[in-house]
Amino acid sequence: MKIRPVVMKHFATVHTSFVVDFIFTNNITILMGDSGSGKTAAFSFIRECMAMNSKILCLDYFDYQKSIKEILSQANEKLIVIDNADILLNDDIRKYISQDDKNQYLIIGRNPKNLFATKENLFELVSEKVGEQTVFRIEPYI
Amino acid sequence: MITILKNKKDIPQGKKYIELNDIFFNQNTAGKLDDRAAQFIEKIDNSKLLSKYKIRSRFDDITLNIDQLSTGCKTVLNVFYYPDKVFCLKECGNNALEVLYGFEKGFVYSEYAMIPFEMDPVEVQTLGGKKVIDDYEELKEWWENED
Repeated sequence: MKIRPVVMKHFATVHTSFVVDFIFTNNITILMGDSGSGKTAAFSFIRECMAMNSKILCLDYFDYQKSIKEILSQANEKLIVIDNADILLNDDIRKYISQDDKNQYLIIGRNPKNLFATKENLFELVSEKVGEQTVFRIEPYI
Repeated sequence: MITILKNKKDIPQGKKYIELNDIFFNQNTAGKLDDRAAQFIEKIDNSKLLSKYKIRSRFDDITLNIDQLSTGCKTVLNVFYYPDKVFCLKECGNNALEVLYGFEKGFVYSEYAMIPFEMDPVEVQTLGGKKVIDDYEELKEWWENED
């Protein structure tokens, strides 16, 4: 598994009053935490960027019927963002991700099994009001 | 108390298993919400139920369709309004699990442990039978043991 991010160290986007400002320190970032913290909202703002940024690939429960492994194996030099990961990723796909050195992953889920993750890979979403905007960042999960 | 299943083969015959909580909520549970849902929505998502299909978001105080609730909150509401079905537990955060574990009835499934830091007693069910567990470590051990 690659330790350092292979695609991007920083991702930022704006969606009306919301700002996503993520700094990546690992090639696999697992975003955990309480329900209702805004993880899926942040995912939707990142997904919007797929239309403009060819380095972004987003998957969620809408892709439930697709072969996720096939999609991943065809991707190259992408930041692959996976919401609903705990139901989308089986053990086989998790092992594939852990060995993929072509792509970088942001995995929104709570189960790090078979991703060969350490605490360095675990993050939670934090939000902060800055003026009229809400800024989402990621911080190490405690 | 809720009943926890850890193997799909343990799901009682005739009980339907729901893995995609978001879709089930949007298509079924949303239409059944009443005043009882407000406390769960407030506690888990820190949002206010304004009317049957609207919430006031914790972010920016904006009004959103009820489909914008978190998956964890939707799972809790699914279990509450459909205690006869079995729902996937895997997308619940600790705050949603705490609420869910306090329910009087309902069925949930996960093949790995999903336990809130502060838990109420639950019933666990396998083909071998049922038992009540009220201790975090004992529940974790049950989940991790093969049987």
